[in-house]
Amino acid sequence: MSYIRKNWVGLLAILVSGIVFLVPFAFIILTAMKNQKESSLRSFSLPSQFHLWDNLVEVIQTRNYMLLTAFVNSAILTVCSVTLLVIFAAMVGFVLQRKPSVWTGPVNFLILAGLIIPPAVVPTIWVLQLLGIFKTLHGLVFIEVAYGLSFCVLLFRAFIATIPRELDEAAIIDGAGPLRLFFEVILPLLKPVVVTVIVVQSVAIFNDFTNPLYYLPGTKNVTLQLTLFNFQSQFNTSYNLLFTNILLITIPPLLVFLFFNRQIVAGMTAGAVKG
Amino acid sequence: MASVTIRDVRKAYGSAQVLHGIDIDVVDGEFVTLVGPSGCGKSTLLRMIAGLEEISSGDIEIGGQRVNELAPKDRDIAMVFQNYALYPHMTVAQNMGYSMKLRRASKEETAKAVQEAARILALEPLLERFPKQLSGGQRQRVAMGRAIVRDPKVFLFDEPLSNLDAKLRVQMRAEIKELHQRLKTTIIYVTHDQVEAMTMADRIVVMHDGKVEQIGRPLDLYDHPANLFVAGFIGSPAMNFIQGTVNNGQFQTAEGSTLPLPQSAKVTEGTLITYGIRPEHFRIDPAGQPVRVQVVEPMGSETQLVAKLGTLDLTCLFRERVDPKPGETITLTVDREQVRLFDRVTGMAI
Repeated sequence: MSYIRKNWVGLLAILVSGIVFLVPFAFIILTAMKNQKESSLRSFSLPSQFHLWDNLVEVIQTRNYMLLTAFVNSAILTVCSVTLLVIFAAMVGFVLQRKPSVWTGPVNFLILAGLIIPPAVVPTIWVLQLLGIFKTLHGLVFIEVAYGLSFCVLLFRAFIATIPRELDEAAIIDGAGPLRLFFEVILPLLKPVVVTVIVVQSVAIFNDFTNPLYYLPGTKNVTLQLTLFNFQSQFNTSYNLLFTNILLITIPPLLVFLFFNRQIVAGMTAGAVKG
Repeated sequence: MASVTIRDVRKAYGSAQVLHGIDIDVVDGEFVTLVGPSGCGKSTLLRMIAGLEEISSGDIEIGGQRVNELAPKDRDIAMVFQNYALYPHMTVAQNMGYSMKLRRASKEETAKAVQEAARILALEPLLERFPKQLSGGQRQRVAMGRAIVRDPKVFLFDEPLSNLDAKLRVQMRAEIKELHQRLKTTIIYVTHDQVEAMTMADRIVVMHDGKVEQIGRPLDLYDHPANLFVAGFIGSPAMNFIQGTVNNGQFQTAEGSTLPLPQSAKVTEGTLITYGIRPEHFRIDPAGQPVRVQVVEPMGSETQLVAKLGTLDLTCLFRERVDPKPGETITLTVDREQVRLFDRVTGMAI
């Protein structure tokens, strides 16, 4: 009893967060197990019969195995975008932190602008069309990189500031050129931030719904989040299939978070206090 | 091995001039310390020799070759930093061999050079460790090992002992000196600690405000400082300075106390001078000046006193054990031949 009295705030917090996070997830699983008629009631109850397998098969087969195409597309999109993000953001952060020049001010302004100014969709499409990369997967990769770059540069720059400059100088005296210095001396030391960026950005890009919707229209190009539209229409929604779909596309980011949770926190706070 | 010649070297950041024309000649195989208070430009000068800072004007030559435009790696120098600057993700062996790897030396050649350096510094058991698994002294030895592996013409040390505790510092001081005697490579060593400079160097360069104040052998600087700054900077506890005039062939303070002048002193009556006397050149003597003891600091081998002559604080150092109580009055004389006189206006030695 005294334990509860002492820690009631913490226990309450655990209870509330449990309800907030687990109940919706339970609702998804329950609905995914029902048949169409039962699921349309949208009640928080056990199904009378379990239809999970049937639902899975149907979801995967829908529109000529569109889900599988979407999985491949999303995987390519996420891997390419995150790779480019890590390399570019680390390089920009390194140059901004280590080699101040007349460009540092304007570049810093652009980075902040990237965080503050909301992206405008129509002009972006216009630019993409001019470049001939509208409705292409690599076009969308560039979009994701552009949207994620500001945040990642800030993370990298803060972390690089904690690496002593003498390390660079020692490497320069040892004979390392700028590229070797970056890839052999600095980049290996950025591991905590690299992990953070990989995890945070891959989950964000993998879960991105609006950007693929705007910049990658067309059935051939579909990404995972867009497959949700398959079971939702103006007149008829198959909730059981919709929720099975949700269940399938929630699993990959969930796994990433479960495995890398600890590193994310380490990386986020790494630049905060000089260690 | 090589000589280093610094000719009228200047450095300016924008309009702020930090080095005002430095001239230093370092002989082949010599151990030279650059010493001075923080902000005097000694580290900047060292970094210019290393090639990490641009030279605003003047020339730096290493082994007779002008190196102003050469990249650091082509100057054939090695530098040891204050915070060691070891690559944290590499083992000790990889740290020491990195320069060889960048020069595309063969694996055997690198391993041989690393082994040899490790043997000199007794680092053999640590070769597979990472820097974070080493103590401060060991890290500094690895940093020196990294420099030795390069087999450079000149070693540059930038306050390498400042991060170590007092005991380790004394030990490393001896190690570096021994290393120099063994390798006989030219060393330029920056420190703000005049004790380090005195104990290690063949010659000391005292710098102040971006200028060289005096260059000389440690004891020459101690015995014959060229000006007030050097006199005050070299030696610990510092030299006592007393302002006064020459009166009747004696030195007279503003309050009227008199102190003897050296016999050879050529000063005219009435000149304004600064009278400099080192703490160890006071003697307790019944015929001397009465002073009031303020603080007594017994240190075993010697005793340090702070005493008041009128309103002036004097620091005195006695080799023998004296035991006056604070507030007591004792009488002191000075060893008059050890007195140094300085021009009050220019600060230069007379």
